[in-house]
Amino acid sequence: MIPLKFDYEVAESAQHAVELLGQHGDEAKLLAGGHSLLPIMKLRLAAPTVLIDIGRLNDLNYVREDGDKLAIGAMTRHTDVEHSDLVKSECGILAYTAGLVGDPQVRHRGTIGGSLAHGDAASDLPGVFLALDAEFKITGSGGDRTIAAADFFEDYLMTALAPDEILTEVRVPKLNGAGWSYRKFNRRAQDWAVVGVGAILERSNGSISSARIGFTNMASVPVRASATEQALSGASVDSIAEAAESAADGTSPSSDIAASSEFRQHLARVLTKRALDEALSR
Amino acid sequence: MKAESAPTRERPKILPSNPGKIGESRPRADGVPKVRGEFEYSSDLRVDGMLWGATLRSPHPHANIWSIDTAEAEDMPGVYSVLTHEDVPGRKVYGMEVPDQPVLAWEHVRYEGEPIAVVAADHPETARRALEKIAVDYEILDPITDPAEALREDTPKLHLSGNVLKEVHIKHGDVEATADVVVSGEYEVGMQDQAFLGPESGMAVPDGRGGVDLFISTQWLHIDRDQIAESLDLPPEDVRLTLSGVGGAFGGREDLSMQIHSCMLALDAGRPVKMMYNREESFYGHVHRHPCKMEYEHGADREGNLVYVKARLVFDGGAYASSSNAVCLNAGTFACGPYDVPNARIDSYMLYTNNPPCGAMRGFGAVQVCFAHETQMDKLANKLGMNPVELRLKNAMKPGDKFPFGQTVPEPAPVAEILERVENMPMPEEEEIIGRDLRRLPGGVSNVTRGEGVKRGVGYAVGYKNIGFSAGFDDYSTASIALSVEDGEPIIYVHTAAAEVGQGGVTLQAQISRTELGVENVAVLPADTRIGSAGSTSASRQSYVTGGAVKMACEAVRGKVFERVREEFGDEFGGELSMEDGSVLAGNRRIVALAELLENGGIEETVVYRHKPTYPLDENGQGDAHFQFAFAAHRAVVEVDEELGLVRVVEIATAQDVGKIMNPQSLEGQIQGGVAQGLGLALLEEIQMKDGKVQNASFTDYLLPTILDMPPVRMEVLELADPDSPYGLKGVGEPPTISSTPAIVAALRDATGRELNRVPVKPEQLAGIEGEPIRRAPQPGSRGPVADDLGSEA
Ligand SMILES: Cc1cc2nc3c(=O)[nH]c(=O)nc-3n(C[C@H](O)[C@H](O)[C@H](O)COP(=O)(O)OP(=O)(O)OC[C@H]3O[C@@H](n4cnc5c(N)ncnc54)[C@H](O)[C@@H]3O)c2cc1C
Repeated sequence: MIPLKFDYEVAESAQHAVELLGQHGDEAKLLAGGHSLLPIMKLRLAAPTVLIDIGRLNDLNYVREDGDKLAIGAMTRHTDVEHSDLVKSECGILAYTAGLVGDPQVRHRGTIGGSLAHGDAASDLPGVFLALDAEFKITGSGGDRTIAAADFFEDYLMTALAPDEILTEVRVPKLNGAGWSYRKFNRRAQDWAVVGVGAILERSNGSISSARIGFTNMASVPVRASATEQALSGASVDSIAEAAESAADGTSPSSDIAASSEFRQHLARVLTKRALDEALSR
Repeated sequence: MKAESAPTRERPKILPSNPGKIGESRPRADGVPKVRGEFEYSSDLRVDGMLWGATLRSPHPHANIWSIDTAEAEDMPGVYSVLTHEDVPGRKVYGMEVPDQPVLAWEHVRYEGEPIAVVAADHPETARRALEKIAVDYEILDPITDPAEALREDTPKLHLSGNVLKEVHIKHGDVEATADVVVSGEYEVGMQDQAFLGPESGMAVPDGRGGVDLFISTQWLHIDRDQIAESLDLPPEDVRLTLSGVGGAFGGREDLSMQIHSCMLALDAGRPVKMMYNREESFYGHVHRHPCKMEYEHGADREGNLVYVKARLVFDGGAYASSSNAVCLNAGTFACGPYDVPNARIDSYMLYTNNPPCGAMRGFGAVQVCFAHETQMDKLANKLGMNPVELRLKNAMKPGDKFPFGQTVPEPAPVAEILERVENMPMPEEEEIIGRDLRRLPGGVSNVTRGEGVKRGVGYAVGYKNIGFSAGFDDYSTASIALSVEDGEPIIYVHTAAAEVGQGGVTLQAQISRTELGVENVAVLPADTRIGSAGSTSASRQSYVTGGAVKMACEAVRGKVFERVREEFGDEFGGELSMEDGSVLAGNRRIVALAELLENGGIEETVVYRHKPTYPLDENGQGDAHFQFAFAAHRAVVEVDEELGLVRVVEIATAQDVGKIMNPQSLEGQIQGGVAQGLGLALLEEIQMKDGKVQNASFTDYLLPTILDMPPVRMEVLELADPDSPYGLKGVGEPPTISSTPAIVAALRDATGRELNRVPVKPEQLAGIEGEPIRRAPQPGSRGPVADDLGSEA
């Protein structure tokens, strides 16, 4: 299907994009890789009358070291994150998960910023950024602001971004040797996650000092496995299996054609256990 | 951008190619262009000044229509035509077997997506908006979505004829027979979609004299033409069809979709009209494989000899008849599987409901029952403590046995042989589970397991099916062969109306002609209705029937060539005449080059070819209903993640009798593709229905297996000639789909010990979140859970 007609503007800079957003109001949408926006336009689930193309903002395509953090530009493509040596060595979970997004075509077009700004809890990266306690840098007409991942995702396809704001950068802590794992359940190769689990495990003296676990597709927004995280804080490495039993506590995932709510909870428990085991061994 | 083609009544110049002889693999003419995106599908048709058609569909599965108001849509700028049932010039219904389906609905709609009105406009978006302006006053009714409910006396009737569309009752031997060992079960097959990649599309061009030319993707030009002409109230010769590039079919293009609509719009607007469904609309635009619920009981003696089979099959035909009658008959006749069953009672029912109409799909009724009878055979083997392959071998049908429908099993029927072959093929290597490349684990690179919870299982199944149209149907094909000289070279023109839907029929026709006439340059003309019918490209029949027609036409041409030779050179040659290398030979001696012989005129012959007749079943379901049978067996090796319910199919091994390998590469493609479709039904593919509404009309949610989900296929092919068919060949397209599904599910049971009585199998079932586990004997070669009797069985 072909989308409805729209006007097309090219942003020369993040600031310019903000200006254009201000000019065109609610009817405008930023176009990054287009791999989330164009499909929903084709399905007529969105019908913006103006697209503001930020695809040429190459200065927003970067991965940089910034003290004990990594800064990643919003326009960085999934494939660039996947193959960045810096990301691989300092925040392996991100490079790994970016490599599980869709298929090679999707990874060459889709951007980190688009993946987050779209606000789809079925996307793989939001849950991982949540588990990483990432920070998002946002540019708007009033200047820049920074927001924690935990405050960014508001509801299904809704984020803290105002209509005239653009996400410009994400910052994640370096893992500094923490173990990690991402596990993604899909029935068919290269599909979206029915459930995904990202886990980051810090160890000290043979026990677990902290576990951070983020879920893909267990709610209308990415969520953390709080009960399991608490159970593991300061716990012995032998307590993983038991702690994973509570992974789905407090969640009420949807029942849909891909899986029942009950099955999603089952998957969350099994995948959490397996992810933690893998994180521990890494 | 690829070229877009303007349809034309002028025949394009077809470049000849050397197709090779039968038995050789040759690249297909359409292969490279398809891979490069250059092939012209019917959706690429385009001509200046054309309009775009669009269809208004019912959002309700069951409703009365009190009024349809099109005034506002008609007034929209850019809209040329808005048509409803009132505008259908002729017969207001259509259908291949039973014309019960409205061209455009009036008074009632019986399924979600039923067409109500059509619009032609100068832009697809204008057409779509015009649809939104059509006001339909519906009275929503409760949909009847369960065939069992439709069957009940007190259920409202969806058609005047009642809710039972067809029933077939087969009584064979002693229908009251009893046995020492009995197993029973209830099985279910979900609604599979043909999921062809090229959605329904075509273009109708008015001829300015009241007639119309239609360029269309279809499986059978002539049955389309006849139905269109009836509804347009035109003589058939005023409705001319030309096959346009077809993007797959698998049965889903046997029924009409937009054919009559586009012709009506083109004639009304006086301009060419193109229609093209999008993916979502395509799910509403064609029939699907029938969902089916089956109750089975098998009785055997203690040695494992089958004594009887009882089966009750209830098919969901959906809202309209399509080819449901034939599916109901087919399923009934094949319900017992390829076994020698002395006594049988089969009751096969086809019901109307408010679900989408169901009809032809690869396997055509044999697929559903094969899942059930093969599961039953495994259950019986388990109960007897027998190896399941041994039980099958013991009961395998042989030439001379009687089918449950009374016909004698003809030669060849190598059921035991194909089973032994798949059993004896080498097993795939069993690699250490921990430490493997993720791509060789369930869930693949998604990294759900690194070996945790993974179990291997092995399963076997065998199935069979008729080839071609059965039960008294006059099943024929027409072919014309013209042999002439162009630029000093002999050339063959082949013309039939057989639809190339991706199966390689064009190449095969050329190969047959090349073989029969010894001429390398062969051009296959576009399929159209200028020549007589070729019948449908379905039921695995075109190689046999159109192949037979082409061969026969070549023989007629050859006869004429030899006549000319005798006229010119007498008939004392000291050897049989033959044609090779563009010449006529007598023994090894060259008599004359064709270029010389045909200098003053070519030879053209048109023939009609029929296979031997078939007969309808009598009231006890007995009769010589079928003319050819094809058999295949499959062995599946799977690995299952028991906790997550994810599956990796490790390998499919198959043996199939094809009579004669006509083109090895095409054959391999058919087997691979059929297995993929069988794998899809086993694990992924289902149109999910809720209250009569389709829940997953997209390729995001209707899960087609990808190349990454497909295992390697190990195949052995038998060439046991059918004495009645051209070259001894057998149809090959459907058997790979039939028994691959139950083999995979048997392997899943072997790995997990779960019952799995419904396909597609969901991860929930395998992980034990849905349904109860059973414990059963392992299959040969497996290391699955070990023996225990089936406590629950009678
Ligand atoms: C076939 C297919 C399979 C896919 N599979 C997966 C998968 O398995 N896992 C997965 O996670 N994703 C998957 N995706 C989605 C893919 O990751 C998207 O590319 C990504 O989610 C969005 O990135 P984009 O750059 O394409 O965003 P766009 O589509 O261009 O934009 C998405 C939304 O975000 C807004 N936006 C974009 N950039 C910014 C910005 N810098 N600031 C503010 N707003 C912005 C846009 O206005 C729009 O509303 C798949 C997509 C396709 C087409």
